Amino acid sequence: MLCKIADAEYVLPAADVMQMESFEGATRVPGAAAEVAGLVQIRGRVVPVLDMRVVFGYATIERTIDSRIVVMKRGERTVGLLVDSAREVLKVPEAEFHPPPPVVAQQTEGLVKAVAQVGSRLLMLIDFTKVIGEEHEHAG
Amino acid sequence: MSDKFDTAEFIAGFVAEAEDHLSSASTNLLSVEGAAAKGQATPRQVRDLFRSLHTLKGLAAMVGVEPIVELAHAMESVLREADRAAGTLPVGAVPLLLDGVAAIEHRVRALADRQVVVAAPPKLVEALGNLRQVGADRAMTSADTSLSPELWDKLGPAERTQIVQALTEGRRAFVVPFVPTLERASRGLTITSVRERVAALAEIVKVVPQSIAASDEAPGGLAFALLVLLASQDDAALADAAATTPESLVPITLEGVAAAPAPESLEEVADEALQHRGVVRVEVARLDEALERLSALVVTQFRLVRTLAAMREGGADVRALAQVVADNGRQLRDLRASIMHARMVSVAEMLDRIPLIVRGLSRATGKEVRLTIAAGKAELDKAVAERIFPAVVHLVRNAVDHALEDAEERRAAGKPEGGHVTVACRELSDSQLELTISDDGRGVDSAAVARRAGAPLPTGDEGLLELLTRPGLSTKAEVTKTSGRGVGMDVVKRIVVEELGGELSLRTSRGQGTTFTLQLPLSITIVDAFSFLCAGETFVVPVAMVEEIQELDPARTVRGPDRRKAPRPGPERRRTVRAAEMIHRRGEAVPVLRLDELLGLGEATELGRKAIVVRRGGESFAFAIERMLGQQEVVVRPLEDALVRVHGVTGTTDLGDGRPTLVLDLAAIGGRLTSPVVGGQP
Repeated sequence: MLCKIADAEYVLPAADVMQMESFEGATRVPGAAAEVAGLVQIRGRVVPVLDMRVVFGYATIERTIDSRIVVMKRGERTVGLLVDSAREVLKVPEAEFHPPPPVVAQQTEGLVKAVAQVGSRLLMLIDFTKVIGEEHEHAG
Repeated sequence: MSDKFDTAEFIAGFVAEAEDHLSSASTNLLSVEGAAAKGQATPRQVRDLFRSLHTLKGLAAMVGVEPIVELAHAMESVLREADRAAGTLPVGAVPLLLDGVAAIEHRVRALADRQVVVAAPPKLVEALGNLRQVGADRAMTSADTSLSPELWDKLGPAERTQIVQALTEGRRAFVVPFVPTLERASRGLTITSVRERVAALAEIVKVVPQSIAASDEAPGGLAFALLVLLASQDDAALADAAATTPESLVPITLEGVAAAPAPESLEEVADEALQHRGVVRVEVARLDEALERLSALVVTQFRLVRTLAAMREGGADVRALAQVVADNGRQLRDLRASIMHARMVSVAEMLDRIPLIVRGLSRATGKEVRLTIAAGKAELDKAVAERIFPAVVHLVRNAVDHALEDAEERRAAGKPEGGHVTVACRELSDSQLELTISDDGRGVDSAAVARRAGAPLPTGDEGLLELLTRPGLSTKAEVTKTSGRGVGMDVVKRIVVEELGGELSLRTSRGQGTTFTLQLPLSITIVDAFSFLCAGETFVVPVAMVEEIQELDPARTVRGPDRRKAPRPGPERRRTVRAAEMIHRRGEAVPVLRLDELLGLGEATELGRKAIVVRRGGESFAFAIERMLGQQEVVVRPLEDALVRVHGVTGTTDLGDGRPTLVLDLAAIGGRLTSPVVGGQP
């Protein structure tokens, strides 16, 4: 699954993508981290949505008709990622993915798991687990 | 809450119980009808029906709903006759009785909705009355009672009916022998005097003279048998009046096809049923209340655990105490499970009324329908059952109305003429249940659906379901008699998916049939809640948490020091929202907190017009908000993901707009302001 965040192209493993929804606003959750855009209801399930622009350190922008929520499921957790656009699904052979240069890995705090060159485009594979953080029990 | 006698609650109790009896009556009527079609009698169902209606009559009389009493009475009479006829209802009785059930149902509902309860339809009551007479004409035979054929033959039809009727009603009948002798005559005991004496105690049906062999005891070769009906239990007095011993009295009982549950009467049986041995009817609201109290206990338990931890850190030996606290925690969980369990109803019970609905649909559409219900032993929360039932009804209705072809079309397709609809249920896990509604009909025509929706042809069942559940879509051009009203597929989806947080899926193939699968949670949390607006966003707060909703008069709000701009030494740990504001409430100074600011929703310049007052421990807080929106029951879904598990938000709910609305714990938000350090260690 190919998506755009702040003019750069990223990919998410299609196997983890449950569905895509257009963005029609989310219910804000006061007190949640800044990157949490809010809650949306998708097929009856209440799903937290992360604003990927904020996660990646860009200023959040006014949403357009291209804005998409990519609903991802990993284990028990279902989280929506708000991206600038998401359209294509493309097949990238696993061999095409290479670990990011160490400097980039450090700069992105591990959010970019791998990079792949497809034609003239450089695609970054998002580490979904890192993005949503480890599930940890709140102490109270 | 009012402490006056609450008639509404009384009526609610009646409505709930009446619905139960009506639903069991419908079920029984349908099995009676089924058996009758095969020429079988159904004594047990008829007896159960009688009980249901008898109880209903009694209940309706207690709440004073005369039309229901009248209907139930007319139906009960028909059933009494049928019971006497060993469970054989007169021809044409079932449809009339079903109409009767519907008529009562209609009136019960009117009562529930606080509408006027209209009088019993006179034509129906009359028709039921006519049935009774037809039933009474059934030729009785000597085999109906324990009376000897010789005596029976001497009785006229009216006398026979009189005896049988009395016995069915629970009165006792006897054959009292009297043999005239000269010695007795000398003591003034003749048949004439005995007849007079007996008549003073009992109702004489007939005095039958019998010729017997002449003997010393009966020198005249003549004896009399007095057939009497006795209302009292005083057999001795009766024997005495007839100059005989109680042992000589021969009781008459019902036998053979007319056998009633002698000696106890039907009414006694029914009254016994009324007592519902070991079953208590509880309003769900009371269980909710218990659950709420329990949550308070859970909070206390939590505090215990925290205190314990603090003690341990202080170096105290708390092992013994820790064990007690752990036990307490386990017991609390068990208690919670017990209360939740008390709210469960069986799925089979919920689906009780489906056969009746299918029967009606079958009649209205002229389609022969075979219904299979496989509910097993699954149970689900009453609140879920109440919400899901209309959706199930709609899907069943759709199946019969649209999906099943008529006999001709089915024959042409090589299918059996009668359609088959199945409602099945299985438990998926401890918390989930799956309901399926399937038919062997024509399948959904996705091209037609796409055309009506003005959308491209859906690729799979999932896409088709999406089109089907679009608001306002109807696949059938004409509005049919049965499916023309009621909920549409969009509402089914809303109930299953949005309200209950379940899943709805569809599998259909042309010519083969359609299956709708509903995955449902076994239980849900429902609270009565206020919805309100704050900084342009909607929130809800449980009613139970709210002390009061107050009008905020800015002129009467006292403003105190504003420390935000005051110099502050040291690290800024305490969040000061704004100038301190207070209102007076019952002699108490209550801080006014601006919810918009507390939630970080931006600073509104104007103070809201309303305040929600909540209390936590001994403290009250008034939260200034924009305005109140309303009050409604909401289904609360907890926030599960760590990303959004935040203080002061209990969960989310759907107010019907398909968007999550936050459920706030205002007491916790208020409490946090006064706790020593925000977000720090205790």
